[in-house]
Amino acid sequence: MSEVVFRAEGLRKSFGSLRVTDEVSLRLPAGRRHGLIGPNGAGKTTLFDLITGEVEADAGEVFLGGRSLNRAPPDARARAGLARSFQRNNLFPGLTVHENLALACALKHGIGHVFWRRLERFTALWQEAEENAGRLGLADHLGQRVSTLAYGTQRQLEIGLALVQEPLLLLLDEPTAGMSPEETSGILELLSSLPESLTLLIIEHDMDVIFGLAERITVLDYGRVLLEGTPGEVRGSDEVRRRYLGAAH
Amino acid sequence: MRERDPIQLPVAGLLAVIAVAAWFGAGYFGQELLAEIAILAIFAMSLDLLVGVAGMVSLGHAGFLALGAYATAGATVFWGWPPAAALAFSVAVAGACALGVGLFAVRLGGVFFIMITLAIGQMFYAYFFKARAFGGDNGMSGTPRFDLSPLGLETGDPAVFSALMLVIAGAVYVALLLLVRSPFGMMLTAIHQNENRLASLGCPVRRYKLAAFGLGGAIAGLAGALMAQHTGFVSPDLAFWTLSGEALIIVILGGSGSLVGAAGGAAVFVMLRDHLSDGSFWEGLRLSGDIATHWQLVMGLFFIAVVLLARDGLYGRLSWLVDRVRSAWRGRGGGA
Repeated sequence: MSEVVFRAEGLRKSFGSLRVTDEVSLRLPAGRRHGLIGPNGAGKTTLFDLITGEVEADAGEVFLGGRSLNRAPPDARARAGLARSFQRNNLFPGLTVHENLALACALKHGIGHVFWRRLERFTALWQEAEENAGRLGLADHLGQRVSTLAYGTQRQLEIGLALVQEPLLLLLDEPTAGMSPEETSGILELLSSLPESLTLLIIEHDMDVIFGLAERITVLDYGRVLLEGTPGEVRGSDEVRRRYLGAAH
Repeated sequence: MRERDPIQLPVAGLLAVIAVAAWFGAGYFGQELLAEIAILAIFAMSLDLLVGVAGMVSLGHAGFLALGAYATAGATVFWGWPPAAALAFSVAVAGACALGVGLFAVRLGGVFFIMITLAIGQMFYAYFFKARAFGGDNGMSGTPRFDLSPLGLETGDPAVFSALMLVIAGAVYVALLLLVRSPFGMMLTAIHQNENRLASLGCPVRRYKLAAFGLGGAIAGLAGALMAQHTGFVSPDLAFWTLSGEALIIVILGGSGSLVGAAGGAAVFVMLRDHLSDGSFWEGLRLSGDIATHWQLVMGLFFIAVVLLARDGLYGRLSWLVDRVRSAWRGRGGGA
């Protein structure tokens, strides 16, 4: 088995008296496609927030590439190699698709602070943004303002911004939510084309998507890990069926 | 990217032409107005960097203007510094104070940011109001203007001084425009739109906001130093929150985030105030000259109209209009 890229140990978080994350631990070797499922309110998105530092954990620790990220704010965690897409589209609505992608490229290359040179002149950057747009199926929308895009197209960009970062660990929060079947299959194609070395943790409600994509799956329920196993094991588990799959299907 | 903001430079060119024409046409009083407009434009553009570009609405910006003005007054009158050195000192003092204030302020967002900047601006006001060394609430006079006699120029001449102010305002505009169009400026624009996502892409948002706040404060300090030179007088009113409010109105009136809009807004504001408060202007319209005493009411109505009819300011409406005309043109030419 390849080395562990990401490790979360005993993460805990309560909002008031409600414990939304309860002793969650997770180990992801490089290149793992890992699914995260569970009923609504199981604490999946909160777990993402704890990993990226958007919400501070009450206890527990997060490691990326052997380094502890515990005291790091979200932007430092992003620079360390964490990228995330959001459950709800979370973009720069007044900028074009090209500009959205160029922003992400500029940050990846660490030139966001440059104030003495016009952004327009960084031709390699715009080129890179354009190539990314092509890969994401957004080439036809380059010059369009994000606020004028259809929902599904925005969703592609939502995932695209995270991909541009070329992270060690990519967190996708319901990437196909609200998409049509054609759009969903487009996203699946995109995800299967990702480099093998990329580690992926994905929240998804579409069971066909998750069982098709993930090598292993963690099932959360009331903030706790109910089960971790292969898709076959998860599908075969009576408890998972009773708590989650049964209710959904 | 190339299509973003296509009217910025044409409008700036037009404003420059108008300014030059006004300079040639202006008499003594007109030159005073021109200098005032140029200085106010610098102040408004520095606020636009915060409000319009980075989305940080400050109601204490006049505090840094006052710091710059008092730094120049103090350095020239008490220490006998030449005005140019005092100007550099003003920029440094205002910038450093803005960085200090920013350390706390940029942690806050929205209405809390407005409240803390308002409170800090009023603290500067309260300090200058009580400061005996600077004449307390009477203020102090005697700030000299730049000495350009080696170049054969007499800055006591309003025409020379206003030309100098216009040149400085133009330089500040060019510098800010280059900044806004740099990667850093793009980050500030993105912070305005969605700062959390920008952080999750790896941008240290707070540091960027702090840098913008410090720079905005430094440029406000420059405007303050020039204002002290222009009037030869500084008073605590320079730090009062209503001046911050006026600058905010200018930015919104001109079109927030457009830089050249803020400069144009300053011109519209000063000209309106000058005309509306002048009895003969109203008599020329065959109305009672007494309306001039209520000019602020008329000005208020004008701003209400602008905010209702042109939420993106004069520049925003102009942009919209040009966009409309262009697409109609293209539709006629390209469609069939």
